Amino acid sequence: MWSYIIRRVLATIPVMALVALFVFSLLYLAPGDPAAVIAGDQASPADVERIRASLGLDRPYLVRFGAWAWDILRGDLGTSIFTNLPVRTMIAQRIEPTLSLMLVTLILAVSIAVPMGVIAAWKQGTWIDRAVMGFAVLGFSVPVFVVGYVLAYIFALELDWLPVQGYTPFAQGFFPWMENLVLPAIALGGVYIALIARITRATMLEVLSQDYIRTARAKGAGQRTILFVHALKNAAVPIVTVIGIGVALLIGGAVVTESVFAIPGLGRLTVDAILRRDYPVIQGVILLFSFVYVLVNLVIDLSYTFFDPRIRY
Amino acid sequence: MKRRDVMLGGAAVIAAPAVAQGQAARTLRVIPQANLTSLDPVWTTAVVTRNNAFMIYDQICAQDAAGEIKPQMAEGWVVADDRLTWTFTLRPDLVFHDGTKVTSKDVVASIKRWARRDPFMQVLSVSVADVEAMDDRRFRFRLHKPVPLLIQALGQTQFPCFIMPERIATTDAFTQIREAVGSGPFRFVQNEWNPGQRAVWAKHDGYVPRQEPVDGLAGGRAPRIDRIEWTIISDPATSASAMTQGEQDYWEYPLHDLLPIMRRSRELVVDQRLLEGTYGVARFNTLHPPFNNPAIRRAVAMAVDQRDYLTAVAGTDTRGWGVCEGVFTCGTPLANEAGSEILKIRSIERARAALREAGYNNEKVVLITPSDYPQINALSLVTADILQRLGMNLEVISADWGTLIQRRSSKEPVDRGGWSVIHTTASGQSMSMPVFHLFLRANGPDAWFGWPEDAEIERLRAEWVDAGNPAESRRIAEQLNRRAMEVMSYLPLGYYWQPSVWRRNVQGVFRAPATVFWNISKS
Repeated sequence: MWSYIIRRVLATIPVMALVALFVFSLLYLAPGDPAAVIAGDQASPADVERIRASLGLDRPYLVRFGAWAWDILRGDLGTSIFTNLPVRTMIAQRIEPTLSLMLVTLILAVSIAVPMGVIAAWKQGTWIDRAVMGFAVLGFSVPVFVVGYVLAYIFALELDWLPVQGYTPFAQGFFPWMENLVLPAIALGGVYIALIARITRATMLEVLSQDYIRTARAKGAGQRTILFVHALKNAAVPIVTVIGIGVALLIGGAVVTESVFAIPGLGRLTVDAILRRDYPVIQGVILLFSFVYVLVNLVIDLSYTFFDPRIRY
Repeated sequence: MKRRDVMLGGAAVIAAPAVAQGQAARTLRVIPQANLTSLDPVWTTAVVTRNNAFMIYDQICAQDAAGEIKPQMAEGWVVADDRLTWTFTLRPDLVFHDGTKVTSKDVVASIKRWARRDPFMQVLSVSVADVEAMDDRRFRFRLHKPVPLLIQALGQTQFPCFIMPERIATTDAFTQIREAVGSGPFRFVQNEWNPGQRAVWAKHDGYVPRQEPVDGLAGGRAPRIDRIEWTIISDPATSASAMTQGEQDYWEYPLHDLLPIMRRSRELVVDQRLLEGTYGVARFNTLHPPFNNPAIRRAVAMAVDQRDYLTAVAGTDTRGWGVCEGVFTCGTPLANEAGSEILKIRSIERARAALREAGYNNEKVVLITPSDYPQINALSLVTADILQRLGMNLEVISADWGTLIQRRSSKEPVDRGGWSVIHTTASGQSMSMPVFHLFLRANGPDAWFGWPEDAEIERLRAEWVDAGNPAESRRIAEQLNRRAMEVMSYLPLGYYWQPSVWRRNVQGVFRAPATVFWNISKS
């Protein structure tokens, strides 16, 4: 087990190196020029050129990549072209809102989607099943920002139950923190709930047709025991896998959700940086996202041994 | 049940409500026009950075509501009889936020750094022999020849000359400063700055405002609020909701589409703050066919009806925009329509005939639209419609602003990544005088993107800088307008007003050439 973990952690190094090379190359090739953004309309081409030189953007590709990679190896993500702040500081300022949003969404989604999928499988072919699947289709089809606007209109503008926008750090209290996260988490969770509910239903249907379930029924096990003890545990591996894959969905969705609800998280930091071509920030955030994604998948892989003792590493 | 009722239960674990309310009354919560990413108003020309700088820094002199330049940090100035020396005296009570006194050495260093980047001052610099400190409170400009526009350059709002401590102002003009220390009415709270989320300024207790009442950017810049908090909300619908719900007090640039909703709220005031409108510009690339042919550019101009553009940007309410068919800002001393008859034709049929006569041979036209810039995008789409109706071979490329501003610097033909038409907007101030009118310049490779070349325009511009009196200045401006209409390197598209929104309890809001927050309080 430990040797597997060490092997997997070591395997993240070439993955991250490839991500770094890919991200850097893509940004190098992408159109846009931060020097032109900084200089503004009034600047002469010579001024833009001087700014570009002062930022080191006129250096050859290999020199720039080498310098950046060397900084990364030393744990330095660089300095934002625009704010002059270390990228590490900017990420630190923004990581709490995004983690909070993802955590609340994850808890909300799993606690709603898994029972929904189980019930739909149990009541296969009934109106309950159709309602759950209908909701899943809706969850996939309606964009996050539309859900966000509708929720904000109802619960913030009309009912005045929750704030329209913003984020309150957890340090200022659980309720103020939660107050700002309820609507964004519901908006962001829609797709995630739909995905998990569908996978849960499909996997449960397969498991419920297995011989050992028939045996459990024959032995007189109750419906609840069959569903949640025998079936769900055996269906857990694909469900957990999808939850892990869905983290990428959450990261993507967080960008939109943070914009709609003005949450100062990493998603908005990424969008702002892309629009301004703030290369060090874009590179830093994407590296972080990639690392998180790799890490989540490692945790998911390790969790298989918990749900299915037959799996050994 | 209301949210605040629910939250009452949690009151024990959060800050005392009375304290919070008191603090809210002393804090002005603002949604700025854009994210504040840089604090250095010399390094970048971003308007949001300039607005931030107006709070932090002070100016030697400043523009009043009538456009006149008045003393601000300066007690006054004396011009020698030969007009070759200008001596300025600073007010005695000027203090930087770090507690040090403002001296003329700080002013001289700040002027020198700013002069390296400001296009206006760069024109005048050839006539400036030196700027030097005489003692702690006096400094002077020594000139090679009289420069009547010196005070306009120092007091301009477009690229203001802000005063920083000498130790900061000696930073290279192309390198971003790391400290925001000024002597203005508010000090920047560095440790609360989270770019993309929030920027905070606190009242500068050591600031002594001028005694005159506030008048544009001139007069007393009295800080009447303890704290100003900018919250960056990029989504306009969310901003509108935050304003109607009282979560924010002031919204600098509301989207025109949302103004009717704002106006319906009894709690909100929707009004003009800026003294001049925002002008639309369609720029031709004069290096390549078809728009290297002035007759084709003029043919397109015949089809332009500014009202279509302005309606697309600011809606059908004619109070929100104005037609301005000249190259100089309407309502300013140089505004004129000499030779502008071509912009009053407004006929697709006549334009089509003129296009044929001009020899248009179905050359490809590439128009780039910035999808993330609603106003400029709207202007671009109206031009696209005109070009299509004229039967031109049009390709519309939708890009983000960052891509557009890089691609517009390409001098290649359209089949090698070049462009034919782009759009932008500019403040009225930036087009009020030939000396800093970017789109008027026609100095070929050094001109603004599109690179028009016309010796007559350049000659008239130089002549205007040396004009001795208003009548002569006006005469040259008319000649310039006439010639600009012949060259037609860009299409003037009129102007729209950009209103702001604030809550009724925000008091003391006044009109100015820039968005500033002194003199404003909350009841």
